Amino acid sequence: MNEPHPFSVEHAFTEAYRRHQHTHPALREAYCLQAQFPAIFLPIRKDDRFAGRIAYKHIGFSPQPHTGGVGYYCDHAALRAIIEAHPLSASDHRAVEAMLDFWRTEETRAKVRAAMPPTLAEALPSDAWTEEPGVVFPLYRMAGANLDYDRLLHRGIPGLRADVTAVRAAATPDSAAFYDALLIALNTLERSALYLAEQADKGGFARIAASLRAIAVYAPETLHQAIQLVYLYTMHATLQCNFGRMDMYLGDFLQHDLETGRTTREEALDDLIGFWRIMPSFEANLERVKFDLRVIIGGRGRRNPENADAFALLALEASDRVRGIVPQLSLRCYTGMNPDVYTRALDLIGSGATFPILYNDDVNIPAVMRAFDIDEAAAEQYVPFGCGEYVIDHRSFGTPNAIINLPKGLEITLRGGVDSITGARMGLSGGSLPDFSTFDDLLAAYQRQVEYFTDAAGEFQALEYRVAGQEAAFLYFSLLYDDCLERGMPMFSGGVRHLGGTYETYGNITAADSLTAIRRWVYEERTIAPEMLLTALDADFEGYAQVREQLLNAPKFGNDDETADAMAVWVLEQVCGVTRAQREKTALDSFLVVVINNSAHILLGKLTAASADGRRAGEPLTNGHTATNGMEKNGVTALLNSMVKLDPTIHAGATHNLKFARSVFTQHRPALEALLQTYFSCGGTQAMITTVNRDDLIAAIEHPEHYAHLIVRVGGFSARFIDLPPETQREIIQRMLWE
Amino acid sequence: MTTGIIFNIQRFSLHDGPGIRTTVFAKGCTLRCIWCHNPEAISPHLETGAHGQVFGQPMTAAEVLLIVEKDRRYYDTSGGGLTLSGGEPLFQFAFARELLSRAKASGLHTALDTAGNVPRGWVAEILPFVDLFLYDIKAHTPDVHRRLTGAPNTRILNNLDYLVEHGAAVRLRCPLIPGINDSVDHLRFIAALSRRFPQLDGIDLMPFHDLAAGKWRAVGRTWQLDEIKSAAPDQQAAWLNVLRAEGCDRARIG
Repeated sequence: MNEPHPFSVEHAFTEAYRRHQHTHPALREAYCLQAQFPAIFLPIRKDDRFAGRIAYKHIGFSPQPHTGGVGYYCDHAALRAIIEAHPLSASDHRAVEAMLDFWRTEETRAKVRAAMPPTLAEALPSDAWTEEPGVVFPLYRMAGANLDYDRLLHRGIPGLRADVTAVRAAATPDSAAFYDALLIALNTLERSALYLAEQADKGGFARIAASLRAIAVYAPETLHQAIQLVYLYTMHATLQCNFGRMDMYLGDFLQHDLETGRTTREEALDDLIGFWRIMPSFEANLERVKFDLRVIIGGRGRRNPENADAFALLALEASDRVRGIVPQLSLRCYTGMNPDVYTRALDLIGSGATFPILYNDDVNIPAVMRAFDIDEAAAEQYVPFGCGEYVIDHRSFGTPNAIINLPKGLEITLRGGVDSITGARMGLSGGSLPDFSTFDDLLAAYQRQVEYFTDAAGEFQALEYRVAGQEAAFLYFSLLYDDCLERGMPMFSGGVRHLGGTYETYGNITAADSLTAIRRWVYEERTIAPEMLLTALDADFEGYAQVREQLLNAPKFGNDDETADAMAVWVLEQVCGVTRAQREKTALDSFLVVVINNSAHILLGKLTAASADGRRAGEPLTNGHTATNGMEKNGVTALLNSMVKLDPTIHAGATHNLKFARSVFTQHRPALEALLQTYFSCGGTQAMITTVNRDDLIAAIEHPEHYAHLIVRVGGFSARFIDLPPETQREIIQRMLWE
Repeated sequence: MTTGIIFNIQRFSLHDGPGIRTTVFAKGCTLRCIWCHNPEAISPHLETGAHGQVFGQPMTAAEVLLIVEKDRRYYDTSGGGLTLSGGEPLFQFAFARELLSRAKASGLHTALDTAGNVPRGWVAEILPFVDLFLYDIKAHTPDVHRRLTGAPNTRILNNLDYLVEHGAAVRLRCPLIPGINDSVDHLRFIAALSRRFPQLDGIDLMPFHDLAAGKWRAVGRTWQLDEIKSAAPDQQAAWLNVLRAEGCDRARIG
């Protein structure tokens, strides 16, 4: 430990919280943030072009601390490990123990868990979704904020202060406390800028120092100042961040700098590369942070399409130059878009980059209008965050706070509500497979199961917002989210215009293909008796190779097969329907499914028994709207035709992984462009394309030292191939490669 | 309706004609090329392989077209369509004629991947239904051709003459197997065809690959080319150089 007083920042933070424990929560948060900033800033590094890197302490405030949690957090495990490894003096030790003890009940995560009524706790007994089998798990976080950076940059710190002061004048006492807290938060931000300016001076970073001093006093005027303010503000808001429509809010600065000769395009590119390099997780590879860090370019609904496109081209070039796992550059495509941007994007993908991820506005905007029940102008402001969940830029909030393992839902439905791995009861009982005399009976039981758990997920989502709102104002979000200032209410206490939630569903296609196989062999052909199917699944097919063979031979999603695809459509519609219904049952404005993937399909797969699609126990579940590995046998057009049958208007985003041989981009580019164009015009919403040579992947396992540059898409994020665990590497190699 | 024996339908095929295509592989062949990369296509009948897998599936032209039609939108944007391949796709002539004529009538672009060792009457009859012939040239003399494929190339070249004379769009496809048929004489022969038929759609050289060895074993046939390796890039460049020296610079590695 390098600190003169062990855990001095943690103690100061805890002290600030204790002192204001019964103050208005907005003010308490503001005072606590004063203890957090500038204390958590890291030194400016030699090649940095901006200041503001942070590393969270073991105790603090964050909407989404990457150790897991929400709001006020305390990383008990890490603190305990440190004091065990480095024994403290008796008095210091007591002080730390007292702190740990205090936060055990005060951290927001614990308060959320404690607020669960018994029926909800029964449905969601565990938080350990990576370790224990279960159907639905709660997640603790306020993820996916997309702030109004336009407002930040146009008003600057002084302008925002003036805005708050103006509404403060006629405020109710409750709102006044919120406004006062916002003013304190702005002071903290200004203080951070000046503190970092001083650090920059000491380190000889004159340009950084000048920009920091400028933004402390004025709204930014240059691209460098604008990026510095965006970064500094965001690091105050959350480390695990998303940057929204960056081409729109930075495009004018770029253009102005170029027009006035303040900078050259080369210098601007270097600044952008510098921005990319200080993205959290760019080097540190922080496990959870790399799922976020979206930068959106392109798309309809930008006020300055020309300037924005110029910036988009620069962003593509920056990503080309750094070839990092972040930012997750995402391009919204639309009919009539700038062809240079599209061409450049495909060049980049074809050269082996995993970015940009492509989105199709022509389909997504109407889909978002329906899914969120909003008008076209609002829907044009959709942004994917994290692993691909849509929210409406600085108007809606939609953190995913529950996950469902659909194959596990089916697994327990086949066995009367009993988990076949642990033998524990979970969910509804209601009979097991031999009791269902028709396939429709089975479907009805599965539906009830999914509905039961989804009701719990919706109730939890609303509860987590309620507790979060009671505990904190999430000041840096509230300041840059529409309506909070005008209403005088923090984000989660009535401020945000559209309070939604999202629900991560995993293994959708595994569940659908399993149902298809059961219908075919158990109910139609009757070649597999219900009891035998259960025995074979429980035995993980040991001694039941022929049963497995039959199951594998049933129709599978991804082959443009009507039977299998219709089941996938049904599974999606069913879970989307019961999820959407939560807006009637809870205080949420919307609750929508997302069919994203990070590595959860692998982790949940490990805790899921063999399934009736022929998948063995422990193997990964399917990934987004993608076929089971190796089961898409009719070519990529068949896969795409299957994918577009899934209705995009009933959820808030789904991922579609496509892996091509490099040669398709290099030797068959017109055909590839026609393929994507057709997919998009037939209703394709999104494509995450990776180009690889399979030989490279295999060689990288044998000689990782030569393949540090090899970046692959795992699903919701990109990763250095050599950093991935062996099972993930195998899974990626098995994924179908179109050539 | 005529039933064909089909052993594979490959969608998103990028190597059998322009654009995105669906290639339908029919069983039966009039040649016995020692390097054959689709040995499961040689016999016109259903076969059971060494591991119990069945090669071939009876399908009507209408059934095949149902599958082909599923990707029509991809053909439309890419300039692709249907390719009928084999084996020798004209071996099941009645089926081929029905499939191609129906496809043509429904507005699909059609390609036929043929070795041309079939009766003239068939070639003449199929011509109106084919937008592009992918036409194999395998050896330069009747004797060498007989040794490598089991039949002389006399009829093949006559049919080629006929097709070009009658205005067919023809693209030559030349499988080249190192040490077997990549002699300078053979390459010069290809160049001569190129000079003689300037109206050809193009010339593709198809470098040998040894991926078919396992398939030969699977259908219980003896693979004779164990010693031959896939053609290296510099070897492929050398072929192109010979052709260029002979005034043929439009050949491409296919």
